[in-house]
Amino acid sequence: MTAFAEGRPIFLDLADRMADDILAGIYPEETQVPSTNELAAHYRINPATAGKALNRLVDQNVIYKKRGLGMFVATGAPEALRASRRASFTAEFVLPLLDEAARVGLTTDEIVTMIKDQS
Amino acid sequence: MTSHPPAGTPSGIVLEHVTKRFGRTEVLTDISAVLPPGRIYGLLGANGVGKTTLMSLVCNHTFRSGGTVLIDGEDPAENPVVLGRTCFIREDQPYNDAFKVRDVLSAVSWFYPDWDAALAERLADRFHLPHRTTCKKLSRGQRSALAIVISLASRAAYTFLDEPYLGLDPSARGIFYDELLLAYSEHPRTIVMSTHLIDEAAGLLEEVLVLHEGRIVLRADADEARTSAFVARGLDSAVTALVGHREVLSERRLGSILSVTVRGARTADDESRARAANIALEAASLQELVAAIGIGGIGGVDTESFTTQRTSR
Repeated sequence: MTAFAEGRPIFLDLADRMADDILAGIYPEETQVPSTNELAAHYRINPATAGKALNRLVDQNVIYKKRGLGMFVATGAPEALRASRRASFTAEFVLPLLDEAARVGLTTDEIVTMIKDQS
Repeated sequence: MTSHPPAGTPSGIVLEHVTKRFGRTEVLTDISAVLPPGRIYGLLGANGVGKTTLMSLVCNHTFRSGGTVLIDGEDPAENPVVLGRTCFIREDQPYNDAFKVRDVLSAVSWFYPDWDAALAERLADRFHLPHRTTCKKLSRGQRSALAIVISLASRAAYTFLDEPYLGLDPSARGIFYDELLLAYSEHPRTIVMSTHLIDEAAGLLEEVLVLHEGRIVLRADADEARTSAFVARGLDSAVTALVGHREVLSERRLGSILSVTVRGARTADDESRARAANIALEAASLQELVAAIGIGGIGGVDTESFTTQRTSR
């Protein structure tokens, strides 16, 4: 069993994880994603929780239901996910980075240099 | 008061003002709850809070002192039809010591109309239960495994598991979790399970009911309960200011450092204030929340508390 993030409902974490997998191309557009019961069995979680994760992705138009067949990745979902991840990049990654930088006394210029050295 | 659906319809478990006294000791006090069918419930709380007693009286293994219990709209007391839909596995399930494992499985199959003999056999093999060994010679873990086999193969519409895995090693517990989910997916049923291994089992649960001193003090969606408490750690005055009037479940001190477990979800405002005041905010797991309740945190501020050992980020 893979551990889920503490302090956060599992269904949110699982939905993000599946979105990661869709972004990574593990589930290409118009291919089927695992069912509620498959997800529940794999992650050892309650099927209701797995179902909530899938419903969240349906609400975000990332996946859609084909009646009698299961859930499929929507066309354009990876691009839409990329756009929304870019929109939250500052809050999710830049602000925590600046926090830690402030704590250890790094200036913005120093951080910029560090980033350029990495790329 | 409430209108109950007709008998026989799967309508779950209804408890109304249920009370249980042993002599002068009140073990359960005014328990009221509706448990819709088809879900996995965790019945949590410290030892001696009444978990076993509550399961026993729902299954008519113990008489209640007051209140109403309904399963599918019917009182289970002296009601063989309703009791045929229940399976209650006790923490220390008694077996006839002279019986072999296969005799036990064959004998209990008579109690359960939906008994799945093929599943019982498959599970007994998976848990490496020796069919020809008498119950007297089973280890603690094997006794638990046998109880689990019975509970899942019973396919009872209402399955009660009281600390089902004493003595089971981690890999056998893993088998139990997998088989529980498989059995539940294939034949949905209502499962009420008590456990102290909360962190391990939390993901399996749909709802949690936390008992403390004979009362239900918390009922929540199990997944949402993961956000129903958090730990703030930092300088005493800063932490106290951040917490404000919110309910503190427990607190620990180390010099001028104060670490408190706060009931409720942490907000975005908490996050930014914590950043500014150098306070570390961390999630409290469901297990920590239940432990804090068990120490007496709910309903008052306690002074002594439980340990949360975590590495700081």
